[in-house]
Amino acid sequence: MEKTILARTGNEAMAEAMRQINPDVCAAYPITPATEIMQIFSGFVSDGLVKTKLITVESEHSAMSACLGSAAAGARTMTATSSQGLALMHEILFIVSALRLPIVLADVNRALSGPINIHCDHSDTMAERDTGWIQIYAENSQEAYDLLIQAVRIGEHRDVLLPVCVSTDGFIISHGMERLETYPDAEVQKFVGEYKPVYNILDVDNPITVGSLVLTDYYLEHKRAQHEAMKNSLRVMSEVFSEFGKTFGRTYDFCEKYRCDDAEYILVCLSSTAGTAKAAIEELRNQGMKAGLLKIRAFRPFPAEQITNTLKNAKAIAVLDRSESLSTRSGPVATEIKAALYDACVNKPMQTYIYGLGGREIYIEDIKKVFNNLKDAKCGGQVEYLGVKE
Amino acid sequence: MSKKPEIKTWKDINTGGWIESGTSEHFKTGDWRSKVPIWQEKNCIQCMQCFAFCPDDAIKVTAEGKRTGYDYGFCKGCGICAEECPITAKTIKELQKKGPNVKIDAWDGAKNPEYAEKAAILMVSIKEAKEKHNIK
Repeated sequence: MEKTILARTGNEAMAEAMRQINPDVCAAYPITPATEIMQIFSGFVSDGLVKTKLITVESEHSAMSACLGSAAAGARTMTATSSQGLALMHEILFIVSALRLPIVLADVNRALSGPINIHCDHSDTMAERDTGWIQIYAENSQEAYDLLIQAVRIGEHRDVLLPVCVSTDGFIISHGMERLETYPDAEVQKFVGEYKPVYNILDVDNPITVGSLVLTDYYLEHKRAQHEAMKNSLRVMSEVFSEFGKTFGRTYDFCEKYRCDDAEYILVCLSSTAGTAKAAIEELRNQGMKAGLLKIRAFRPFPAEQITNTLKNAKAIAVLDRSESLSTRSGPVATEIKAALYDACVNKPMQTYIYGLGGREIYIEDIKKVFNNLKDAKCGGQVEYLGVKE
Repeated sequence: MSKKPEIKTWKDINTGGWIESGTSEHFKTGDWRSKVPIWQEKNCIQCMQCFAFCPDDAIKVTAEGKRTGYDYGFCKGCGICAEECPITAKTIKELQKKGPNVKIDAWDGAKNPEYAEKAAILMVSIKEAKEKHNIK
């Protein structure tokens, strides 16, 4: 397949994917650092490059509400936001997933206030961890572009029908220009296909009720059905990853394993930090240390089996969390990994870190320090702050 | 009338929980009332404002398009029908001509005997509805 090589920022890459997906409806409200996605996309709308109905609203709460209505009417619906914007969508996010509306959201990870900050960390999406959305973290512009296209197919699959959030690291990726390979419009259109909704509130010949009151009698059953959809998404994501790989020549997985096969020390992280970690691992390998990286792309559903299978042969594990859950224990990623290892009866020395909050830089030297400390890691290590002024 | 959805296990729930329309027919909400609307046929001009504004299905209309009584099973006593009734506005205006300081509105107009005589929809207490109008 013919590929076009471009220089694009993360936001430009996501807007380009949206142009090629050509959704029926987008409702959005601008917020740094995600503003550009919809700004660029609104240009596509004005230029007639997409047939999308763009709805400009007065807040993110309204944006997600408008998306909900649009999706319930059977329209393929997308939006973009970040940080406080995602937080303002919070209550609607639960309703969207419960109504099983496969809205696709491009998020740009940014710290939540307070103190007010516009730079990268994962506190915005981690705070929406339990909303029933599929969450995918992209390392770079290419992943953001590819994963946003795949998100449409994953969410809209009949056995899933769940909303999907694909995120990039604020400024680091959203505003950083990188090499991006794009695919022809027609091929992307063919891959995403036509959306066939399971219900449509505007079908006047077959009137239905959506969002009815469910009390003690059936609420539990509704959640059980959502649980099943999330379980199904593990299988469906594998299928979509594989089909995407066959079509476009770039195969994805729930996780990326970088030099893990013989690794004695494995670092786990999400998103752009993986790029820094890979460079650190190369240096450590040259010095004789068997270092590896496990980058998690899908945080919801949580690919526990793949993660434990990779980590069970390591001597020690380090987990980096770019958000705080303030439990006084580990951050959300490490907590999840610990639970997965416990379920697999694997007990390994592990050191967990909180790092990069509010856009604090992480350097190759920081990651090398993490690996070097792992040599002395013990079971039950308490969480530490990486790169903090002490 | 719609059917009540039959759900035995979580697998029987439609995707996203959609159900057939019109199920509120099964959901009687009349016991929420603190006041009761009384329709006075002799004063009604059949304008259908009350039917249009009723947020539920409490205004009964015949197949020929004639407003009749109330279906109190769906009436929450919100008073919107009495508020929107043009006879209410007309009656209040007439009373105000007689005395410019007269304070009266659709919600407690029944206390004024002249208003109670001329209005097409009266909001009365539950006690009065039972005793005077035989409405439970």
